[in-house]
Amino acid sequence: MNILLVEDDTEAARHVVAGLREAGHGVEHCGDGPHGLRRATTGGHDLLIVDRLLSGFDGLRIVSALRQHGGHRPVLVLSALGTAEDRVAGLRAGCDDYLVKPFAFAELLARAEALLRRALMPAAPHSVLRASDLEIDLPSRCVTRGGRAIQLSATEFQLLEFLMRHAGQVVTRRMLLERVWNLHFDPQVNLVDAHLERLRQAIDRGFDHSLLHTVRGAGYVLRA
Amino acid sequence: MPSPPPRAAAIRLTLLHVGVVMLVVAALLGAVFLVTQRELAREVDRAIAAELGELRERYDPAGLASLIDAVQRRSATRGRSGALYLLIDAGGNRVAGNLPAWPDAAPGAARWINFDFELGEPADAVRHPARAAVHTFDSHHLLVGTDVAQRNAVAQHLRDALAWSTLLAALLSGMVGWWYSRRVGARVRAAARACDEILAGDSAARLPARAAGDEFDQLACAVNRALEHAERQTLAARATYSGAARELRVPLHRLRMRLESLAQRTAGEEMREALGAALGDLERAQRTLATLLQIAHAAADTPLSQAERIDLAELARSMVELYAPAAREAGLALAVHAAGSCAVTGNRQLLAQLLASLLENALKFVPAGGAVEVSVAAQGDGGAQLSVADNGPGIAPAQRAAVLEPFGRLERDAARPGSGLGLSLVTAVMRLHHGRVELAERTPGLVVRCEFPPAASTAVPRGSGSG
Repeated sequence: MNILLVEDDTEAARHVVAGLREAGHGVEHCGDGPHGLRRATTGGHDLLIVDRLLSGFDGLRIVSALRQHGGHRPVLVLSALGTAEDRVAGLRAGCDDYLVKPFAFAELLARAEALLRRALMPAAPHSVLRASDLEIDLPSRCVTRGGRAIQLSATEFQLLEFLMRHAGQVVTRRMLLERVWNLHFDPQVNLVDAHLERLRQAIDRGFDHSLLHTVRGAGYVLRA
Repeated sequence: MPSPPPRAAAIRLTLLHVGVVMLVVAALLGAVFLVTQRELAREVDRAIAAELGELRERYDPAGLASLIDAVQRRSATRGRSGALYLLIDAGGNRVAGNLPAWPDAAPGAARWINFDFELGEPADAVRHPARAAVHTFDSHHLLVGTDVAQRNAVAQHLRDALAWSTLLAALLSGMVGWWYSRRVGARVRAAARACDEILAGDSAARLPARAAGDEFDQLACAVNRALEHAERQTLAARATYSGAARELRVPLHRLRMRLESLAQRTAGEEMREALGAALGDLERAQRTLATLLQIAHAAADTPLSQAERIDLAELARSMVELYAPAAREAGLALAVHAAGSCAVTGNRQLLAQLLASLLENALKFVPAGGAVEVSVAAQGDGGAQLSVADNGPGIAPAQRAAVLEPFGRLERDAARPGSGLGLSLVTAVMRLHHGRVELAERTPGLVVRCEFPPAASTAVPRGSGSG
């Protein structure tokens, strides 16, 4: 996939570009705002990753310009501010996701790929989600695996639904905290792993192949 | 918005004003009336006394003739207008004068008498009031008086005029008072509106003030100068905040990217471990920085952003559910008493972070086997109370204030991991929500109580959306 990175911190950008390329994406890097703005509106990239605090330039201008021209391409905003206002301003300007520096590269990659996939395959209004022999029926909130009913708590159900909607993709702990618990800060202790462990017990125990996998240093993936 | 203040003050002021004006005007005009009335009465008495004096001089001890003559002459012309004369003998028979009969009072009983007499033809006689002086000459009695109907009418007119003047003064003062208090009220309300706007987050709002102003304008200008100063300080604090955030986060980010790419390329196990540990340290520093910046942001007196109506009970249940596995792992019994819903105005992320801080503190300090209870209760006054109680070691009363400050840690906890920012974050978040934090004793243990004021007393939320 073709990604445009607008970031004036060349040192950080170098690592991001290298990492994204390693993950198999084409990356174009712009080191300043005006150039980034030009490329964003003309480049035909699949995804934009924009630093909000470019020297003398608000990265959100790129997002606004893109949206004004009717561009629907997903945008991921990076910011060193990290206040609630900053995040809301980003989302209001039309960004699809917001990441506070410093972040782990794995976090950026997981979010970028989630956005790319969402752009390619918009979430169909399925009422039943399937992964291998695991099936969840959204209206009735019934979960079955291999025809066997599985009892889940409300949170476990939400976790599973999110993982199934992103089946095959890495989902980070932070993404889960944001989407399932609506928390946009880092708790001091690891809370997500214990919940995922319970979910794993519920859906994988007693079956010969596991669906829920831990990705070291990144997060989780539900893979058929 | 709070309802506009009642006009009670304007009405009270106006009534007070009218009352005072009426009192003063009535006292003044009343005095004028009394003095005038007395003067009129004296004038009559003086005229009568003078007349009587003249007639007494005419009395000749030798005979009544000249007196009778004088009385008759004067009666015929009536002398002064309205003058009354009557001379009677010892038997009470009229000798001379223009009064048909002696008034009721016995002659000689009093020197001055007031009486009524009939004027005009008997068919359509009108009773007139009169005042007279009486003098006794040996056996005869002489009455010299005056018809005071006209004088009484003058007094009556004067009284009416004064009463109407008082009423008019009251009416005018009422109108002026009402107009003036309305004007003052309008200015006070305008100032109150400006204050509401400032509280609601419009830090650029100012009290209305005219350049060539009265005391109100001077007051407004003084308040505006103070606001200006506060806004400059807030802006400076915010600039410091964003500067610090950028200058710390950007290099930390670069460091992290470097360490990560090194860790990825390194083959040696030992090196990889060291880099992993460095990344772990970095992560901790990053989290501390985030909390510290959050506290600084709150301390910069920024208005509460993204304030909305939040169900505190639901938030508490959700946070307890999130922390339940971690609590189980630490051997703690974590319970929540937050039935139903309890709405407060606030920022969901900050309140969640507050709960996270309190729960993490409990996880850290309460030994295995302990119990932690989170409770949310609506208060009678429309506010709410959130409390987290544990049966851990507690905090001595003398040290409670210290742990609410950033990096305020107890000596006994010095060896434990943690930044010591948890409770100061709680303090900062509660300050942003116009609430307060209280640490209280439990036997054994600690209760942290967060009290939220009623929604009406907090700033009006701007915008919405939990984000």
